[in-house]
Amino acid sequence: MNGARTMIEQEEALDWTIRTRDPDFRDWDAFTRWLEAAPGHAAAYDALMLADADLPALVPAEPLFAGTPANDRGAPASRWRWRWIGGGAIAAALVAALSIGMTNRADIYTVDTRPGEVRVIALDDGTRIEINGGSRLRLDHNDPRFAALDSGEASFTVTHDASDPFRVTVGDTVFEDAGTIFNIVRAGDATRIGVAEGEVIYNPDSDAISLPAGRALREDGRGLTIVSVAPESVASWRQGRLAYDNAPLADVTGDIARSLGIRIVGAPPLRFTGTILLDRDPQRFFARAAPLLGVTARHTRDGWILKERDGPQS
Amino acid sequence: MAGLADVFLAHRTALLRFLRARGAGTEAEDLVQDLWLKVEGRDGEDVADPLSYLYRMANNLMLDRYRSITRRERREQDWVDAGSGVMAEAADDRLADERMIAAQQLEAARAVLRDLGPRVELVFRRFRIEGVGQRTIARELGISLATVEKDLQKAYRAMIALRQRLDTE
Repeated sequence: MNGARTMIEQEEALDWTIRTRDPDFRDWDAFTRWLEAAPGHAAAYDALMLADADLPALVPAEPLFAGTPANDRGAPASRWRWRWIGGGAIAAALVAALSIGMTNRADIYTVDTRPGEVRVIALDDGTRIEINGGSRLRLDHNDPRFAALDSGEASFTVTHDASDPFRVTVGDTVFEDAGTIFNIVRAGDATRIGVAEGEVIYNPDSDAISLPAGRALREDGRGLTIVSVAPESVASWRQGRLAYDNAPLADVTGDIARSLGIRIVGAPPLRFTGTILLDRDPQRFFARAAPLLGVTARHTRDGWILKERDGPQS
Repeated sequence: MAGLADVFLAHRTALLRFLRARGAGTEAEDLVQDLWLKVEGRDGEDVADPLSYLYRMANNLMLDRYRSITRRERREQDWVDAGSGVMAEAADDRLADERMIAAQQLEAARAVLRDLGPRVELVFRRFRIEGVGQRTIARELGISLATVEKDLQKAYRAMIALRQRLDTE
């Protein structure tokens, strides 16, 4: 009896601990009344607040939400251009028309792209998938609303149907469209998604985090990071540009290697903010991009070796 | 806009009642006086919601008081332990131990947060480490306020249980 009562009081005390911790908490009258309701309430609250004060020391402080929260949508996303600016050197575009089968059985097939190769797939429902180089995507002949990105990068321009949402599976994670253009990168254990238009739901059956246009999410061994991005920079690889905001250099080099079809060795522990222009000629590309990235690039038999520049050059 | 002092005077009785409810007992009057001295020092400051600000100050006074009492009790306990020879340990060893324990605790906290799932972890960090309000978090993640509340309760329960486990080890 007494134990059950203490349990409930403990729960209430925790509730008030969390509520009063909120910078926007205002309901001090209700809090006063709860404290007055039983003599043990104040002590239970004090003990929990003391525990609460220790929590930041227990938790590694890593910024998981960088950039400004996008409360207001700025200018509407600029129109997408579908081709490389420099002409179709890698426009090995494959347009496959897929029919919706009458059966419910999955009929999975795999689309692989070589490094540097880009493929465009048009599904029967009007959805369009652009697959960057060095990628593996699985699709289902019998279910045009299914896609799984096993590695690499792809952009999805989805024909929205609320009654039958389009879902992309990446490892254990599911992204569900809510009327959308979005881009996904899968490299090692890290998954990145950027939303250009509409909205994407992260793990709709469990976490159900909604990512509107201008939001990007990164998931890796360290947890989730959500950042704001310029919607027009999402999937800019399709226009021959790569745009970043405080991205680890390893992400950048992975994207370059995939897009240009080259091998890159070593990623110094740097971060990069800015836009780099892709160029089919790696020599010319690195001549321009390496200084921006703060590295030197050397071509060897094993690929391109990147090293951190020694200090500021005068 | 009314200054802090004006608001204090208008709500002195309510603040006194709050301090009593918080467990100040016979010291409630003294604490209200302490609060008044602090308020006088800050009267010129521009505060968005003066009444809530005053309550928070009063609440913090009580938390400080509780903390120093707890600390004193702990010190006395340590002194007793030291007297019985339990704390006879070189300072160097203790420092190395503490560092190792801190690393282990960090790992344990990471594991607990990871088990709660990515959203709960993100919500908890946003709220407790970065000091963002629940309403804002709900908007950022496109989830309901009730979901944020539930996530925080889950995270708090797990983290407080972890802390108790670490304390008793």
